[in-house]
Amino acid sequence: MKSKKRNRIIGQVIVYVLLILLALLMLVPFVWMLSASLKFNKDVFVIPFEWIPKEPRWQNYIDIWTKIPLAKFTLNTAKLTIIVTFLQLLTSSFAAYAFAKLEFKGRNTLFLAYVATIAVPWQVYMVPQFMFMRRLGLADTHLAIIILQAFSAFGVFMMRQFYEGIPDSLCEAARIDGMTEYGIYAKIMLPLSKPALSTLIIFTFVNTWNDFLGPLIYLTTESKKTLQIGLKMFISQYSAEYGLIMAASVLSLIPVFIVFISLQKYFVAGITTGSVKG
Amino acid sequence: MKKKIISSLLAVSMIAASIAGCGSAEQAPAAEETKQEEAPAAEEASAAEAVAETAEATSDEPVTLKWALWDVSSTVYYQPLIDAFTAEHPNVTVEMVDLGSTDYSTVLGTQLSGAGSDFDVVTVKDVPGYVSLVNKGVLEPLNDLIAQDGVDLSLYNGVTDQVTIDGNLYELPFRSDIWVLYYNKDIFDTAGVAYPTNDMTWEEYDKLARSVTDTTPGSEIYGAHYHTWRSTIQLDGILDGKNTIVDGSYEFTKPYYEMVLAQQKDGVCMDYATLKTQGLHYSAAFAQGNVATMNMGSWFIATLIQKIKDGEYTDCTNWGMVKYPHAEGVEPGSTLSTITALAIPTSAPNKDMAWEFVKFVSGEQGAEVMAKTGNIPAMTNDKIVDLIASMDGFPTDEASKEALVTSHTYLEMPANDKSSEIETVLNEQHDLIMNEEVSVDDAITAMNEGVQAIIGQ
Amino acid sequence: MAAQLSTMEKNMKKRQRRRNLIAYSFIAPNFLGFAIFTLGPIVLALLMSFAEWDGSNAMKFIGLKNFVEIFKDDRFLASLRNTVVYSIFTVPITLVIALGLAILLNQKIKGRNFFRTVTFFPYVASLVAVAAVWNMLFTPAKGGIVNQFLMNVLHVAPLKWAASSSTVMLTIIMFSVWKNMGYYMVIYLAGLQGISEDLYEAASLDGANSWQKFRHITVPQLKPTTFFVTIMLTINCFKVYDIVYMLAGGSNGVVNKSAMVLVYYIYEEAFRNWKLGKASASALVLFAIVLVVTLIQFKGEKNYAND
Repeated sequence: MKSKKRNRIIGQVIVYVLLILLALLMLVPFVWMLSASLKFNKDVFVIPFEWIPKEPRWQNYIDIWTKIPLAKFTLNTAKLTIIVTFLQLLTSSFAAYAFAKLEFKGRNTLFLAYVATIAVPWQVYMVPQFMFMRRLGLADTHLAIIILQAFSAFGVFMMRQFYEGIPDSLCEAARIDGMTEYGIYAKIMLPLSKPALSTLIIFTFVNTWNDFLGPLIYLTTESKKTLQIGLKMFISQYSAEYGLIMAASVLSLIPVFIVFISLQKYFVAGITTGSVKG
Repeated sequence: MKKKIISSLLAVSMIAASIAGCGSAEQAPAAEETKQEEAPAAEEASAAEAVAETAEATSDEPVTLKWALWDVSSTVYYQPLIDAFTAEHPNVTVEMVDLGSTDYSTVLGTQLSGAGSDFDVVTVKDVPGYVSLVNKGVLEPLNDLIAQDGVDLSLYNGVTDQVTIDGNLYELPFRSDIWVLYYNKDIFDTAGVAYPTNDMTWEEYDKLARSVTDTTPGSEIYGAHYHTWRSTIQLDGILDGKNTIVDGSYEFTKPYYEMVLAQQKDGVCMDYATLKTQGLHYSAAFAQGNVATMNMGSWFIATLIQKIKDGEYTDCTNWGMVKYPHAEGVEPGSTLSTITALAIPTSAPNKDMAWEFVKFVSGEQGAEVMAKTGNIPAMTNDKIVDLIASMDGFPTDEASKEALVTSHTYLEMPANDKSSEIETVLNEQHDLIMNEEVSVDDAITAMNEGVQAIIGQ
Repeated sequence: MAAQLSTMEKNMKKRQRRRNLIAYSFIAPNFLGFAIFTLGPIVLALLMSFAEWDGSNAMKFIGLKNFVEIFKDDRFLASLRNTVVYSIFTVPITLVIALGLAILLNQKIKGRNFFRTVTFFPYVASLVAVAAVWNMLFTPAKGGIVNQFLMNVLHVAPLKWAASSSTVMLTIIMFSVWKNMGYYMVIYLAGLQGISEDLYEAASLDGANSWQKFRHITVPQLKPTTFFVTIMLTINCFKVYDIVYMLAGGSNGVVNKSAMVLVYYIYEEAFRNWKLGKASASALVLFAIVLVVTLIQFKGEKNYAND
């Protein structure tokens, strides 16, 4: 008994040592970003890398706001991200319910079409898609970006897979109780899929927040541009201001982390005993 | 289900229709193209007068020109050029549309696809980008306009000949950059070695670079620095005027590769593989103050001056520049060049005014504006060189000013149907040579075969 | 009798139609947007693989010529080979590590949220920063940390990593696992939350050990998640692009044959050479491969569902 306990402690120690090592390895890029954000561009890529800059340039954090309209860009990105995430969440979880829990004609074919489109690189259909959107008068509008991002197949696919994991017996029981499909979706599926919904929020948020090529092609008016386009503005034809880029990148990560950390609490509670027995 | 199929088919056909329709429906403005009656008169008059006269001819209706470009926030000459133009054409507003520099060609190509774009003037970034736009048929040929308004192409030092495709010119250059050799005077002073000169052969250059090199670990001085671009080495070979980079035979690059590989081995320049993975920008390399000489384009002048003024570059404040080294028996002043040009899309809503703008910016008045901002215009003369050299922060020695005067310039990539495909082959072999993965001879064989296969297609 | 049957049939048909309609009403909001703005252009783009088109001049149908051309192109073949090699290694390695991490970080350990966030970090961090750190560790110079380790601890010759054609794919695979494992870990974490505690409790009562619980509860319960992760991983591996560009592309932006991947080839054909038909043909090849992989998986999933 004693040796078993000792083994467990040793096991715990090993786990923690491994985790801490892993954490260090994962954190190095962040430290690099922080350090680079406090440097002149000319010193960023010089080896040996100076992890703690001798003369930190806090000025970088001021310059990024004046050299480009960063505040406006951030606002645009925030607006787009929130709308896209909301729409994506709503429509994907809705559609996924049908794919996972309802029998209907053409289900597998349609689902396969969804999944298969994820496999087509955007570079291939970017040009026809752009010409089509321009025809509709959507070039240089935020609506174009919203439309492009909000109905992605990814969300449907992911939500469907999580719904698959929820026992069918739950839905059957509710149907017998006379609940409509919409009721089952709203009252049973949604509450049970909080971890999955959180995951989808995180991924959609990150994707839209960091999207670059889409806004670059569609948004040409300065006042409509987004954060990631702004970051690339520091890379000009003849020089690249990596000190400034990193300063802005560090700041742009803050919302991502807020979202990630605040959704962590939904990753704890699984399906409780009561709900399974329904 | 059927409904879904129908709706998706509908969507596809809608898109197909929108694409097919673009070609025909949106080319209506072409009818406006009938030019002003003033043309014969303009031909006789001098270029400057022509501008004034056509300006009178056009009506005073307000016109907005949409200009596609990149790096609005960091480029100093866009606004002055626009100001100078609108001073002569008060009814015109020029709207700049920044498409970003990193993916400019992709974005511009997409925007111009299908003739639905409303750009009046587009900046053309490089020759492969130019060729692909011409192949797509989205640029207006300028020959007739040039003949009509008597634009003197000889002022562009023959550059326009190198971008003429099948007898047609589709762009007018307004900015031109030449390659020079930058050097850090402090390093030469410390080593007690005489500065580079405007008349050096490649052997003399090699010897000079080696003479200031110091390989002591921790306090290295690099006699030379080559950025990872193939242009820095491969193109040195075309400066004798006997070869071009699109011929399909590359034996002429051998001596230059051998020179640099030997330098790399002896620690005269930094190791290519490390440089490539490290991603060190050439400006950062020069700013460290341990690079004695570096071959680079004249665009670096403005960066250097600015960064020294800002206090960022502290270890290369005492810099100078000289003409590119030359092969034995070749006149000094032969160098590489790149051009930035303006073109008019076939779909431009205001073609007449767009042409006025293009003519102005790439003409004499535009050239002066460019020079005043420290950039070399495509159209140069002594006055322009004086203007640039008198800029605050430009090296004060005579040699540096003299370095701006060229005898022959060769485009880094001449206009060729296959230029982007040829570049791919050349870039790959350059990388393999510099990584020392294949011998120079094998790489040259591979270049010859690869490029000849492309040309033969 | 016959009339009765037909009314029954009618009723059944009616019920079925109703059921279909309800299902379609769930799908419609997403599907309409998806079909018009994504599926449509994709179908069109795939049809383009039988045509010659530069985005402006009239489209010309040329049959299978694009396919003949790409399969004769060294760069395409190299990119196909590299992509397959990359995927074969990256998919299983990332999957196993992500699952392991998720299980580890699903336990009640101190600082769990911190570790989760940190693991997710390389996925969201600026690619420039992540690549810069990576290249510092795996620099081709002898002084690099990893090369020092190779020489002094393992006593083998230093490697040139991303700078050499023999090790560049290895470097890219390791980098990609490191950068993306946190992403798939998050998906697995969400999947783990869906497993009922009851199952584990019951197993404990039966005296099952940790391995048995993992083998007989966790793995089968996670099957839908694993299906998702495998397919997404495969697709994302086949679509790899920016990592390769960052690690193996020089300042010319050129990626050598030794590191060419399919999407890079597609990008080059589409936006450097403006041969959209050829780009589409290459995409169709990519599409076909992924479709086959997905169908195999799909069948496997259905078998599981029938169990």
